[in-house]
Amino acid sequence: MSTSSAASHPQAIWRRLARASFGYILLSPALLVILGLNLYPTVSGVLTSFTNQSLIDPGHSAFVGLENYFKLLQDPVFQISLLHSLELTILAVLLQVVLGLVMAHLLIQKVPGIHFFRSVAMITWVLPIIASVVMFRFMTLPNYGLANILLTGSGLGALARNWFGDEKYAFLLILIMHLWRNVPFYAVAFMAAMQAIPTDLYEAARIDGAGDWRQFWFVTLPNLRYIILVMVVLHVTFTFNNFDFVYLSTGGGPVNATEVLPTYIYKQAWNGYALGYASAGGVIMLAILIVLVLACNKLIGGLSES
Amino acid sequence: MRKPFPVRLFSTYAGLLVFYLFLLLPIVWLLLSSFRNSDSIQSGRLLPAWPELTVRNYIEAFQISNFTTYMANSFMVAFSVMVMVVFIGSLGAYSLSRFTLKGKRSFMMAALLPQFFPYVLVLIPFYVLMSNLGLVDNRFGVILTHTSITLPFALWMLTGYFNAIPRELDQAALIDGCSRLGVLFRIIYPVAIPGLVVAGFFAFVVSWGDYLFVSILSQSNTTQTLPIGLQTFMSSLEVRWGLITAGTVLAIVPTVVFFSIVQRRLVSGLTAGAVKS
Repeated sequence: MSTSSAASHPQAIWRRLARASFGYILLSPALLVILGLNLYPTVSGVLTSFTNQSLIDPGHSAFVGLENYFKLLQDPVFQISLLHSLELTILAVLLQVVLGLVMAHLLIQKVPGIHFFRSVAMITWVLPIIASVVMFRFMTLPNYGLANILLTGSGLGALARNWFGDEKYAFLLILIMHLWRNVPFYAVAFMAAMQAIPTDLYEAARIDGAGDWRQFWFVTLPNLRYIILVMVVLHVTFTFNNFDFVYLSTGGGPVNATEVLPTYIYKQAWNGYALGYASAGGVIMLAILIVLVLACNKLIGGLSES
Repeated sequence: MRKPFPVRLFSTYAGLLVFYLFLLLPIVWLLLSSFRNSDSIQSGRLLPAWPELTVRNYIEAFQISNFTTYMANSFMVAFSVMVMVVFIGSLGAYSLSRFTLKGKRSFMMAALLPQFFPYVLVLIPFYVLMSNLGLVDNRFGVILTHTSITLPFALWMLTGYFNAIPRELDQAALIDGCSRLGVLFRIIYPVAIPGLVVAGFFAFVVSWGDYLFVSILSQSNTTQTLPIGLQTFMSSLEVRWGLITAGTVLAIVPTVVFFSIVQRRLVSGLTAGAVKS
């Protein structure tokens, strides 16, 4: 920077300097929140996983190396939770993609009243998860829940049961709640992408003698590849990390039948006071999630070439 | 447009019926039950008789001393989070969209990362941080937390929105003597209202529905929000489902009202961050 010009045009220099730094000033609050309240806590969480930090006296903790990780991998409940988390995530996301495509196919039809269906579709997604859990628990009550009323009314009273208290059905209900909340989001996103596919692609396919199914397979699906990838990555993350559905509906029970990683880690930290141990569980979750996301990217990214 | 064949019409409606029965039945059943007295709910009948319908559940829900506190806390927290996220997010997005910054790309990627972090992991250092700042059991602590978990997405989304607004608009305003900040408020804001509303809605809904963070960062009912309240009702008012369902309906009304306003823009907004940039 030349001093003479600064002396002769101090205002011009000042203005240029101010202009250059103004962008950073505008960004600084967001930068502060993202660095200070997102990245710092996570790095700190990773570091905590190598210590024996306890909730009883969080100020004093010692470095224990990989001890938490070794203990976790031998912890039978952790193993069960890991299995449940993977099962839930894979099943939920697969079913959501399929059901989302079916629902999108219905929503794209130009039939009378379709705007109503389109506009209310995402209602389940915006409700607080606790509200969805109240609904499903209320519907599956053993004595006067809707499910049992309907079963008894149609002569299938023998099938009535305490659904969330049943080891076999509790997990299924968690899965159903995930579908209930998220399938419409897929459907509406897929629908928007379907509407953007040029109609002449379908006409060309029809001229080539392709039926509905082949049009779907060779025109619709390849054009949806990108939005499918986005939705899958979004929901693998959501489902794998989700704590509320399980914790609020079953608390992980009965007898660990619905325990997933987030609920198990939460209990280790806040009921078992083992912050270091729980953090190690969280880091393992993060590692698995990264692998899952990369796998989805590879799998769905690869679909187009075939 | 060609009229669909009746077969197709019929199968479309049949399919829609199956999907919407599944989606709407829980909500309808909740709504119906919230207006039934407890004898009616426990009768095991599908439909109530007329005299069994009542608004008592709603009156009683408001009389439970903590319910109004939960509601007030939820409104205060979610509203503040919405304002902070839209304000901080739009300033940041304006900067990312219109200024040459060093390390812009790496910052954008760094901002995206937190979306993958398990909240149960983040919660632990968050609690330690908040207790060091003296913000445990403090509404501002909750507001700050919810702002931090919703800001990254809002920032991405708004940057995408702002990028789509032609720069010629800014330049014309600058030539007319508008300041850089004036461009944001007078030119960008009016054009980007749909994006700002969706970002605000997203922040509001996440904050309104959050159970996980509030369950640890708020320890008394002076700062706890509705999700904690509903969970407490569900476990302590075990058989009074009329009351629980009425409380739940009250808790979902604000999100449903807000949803009906933004509904048209919601999906394009929610996927904008992914599609643009």
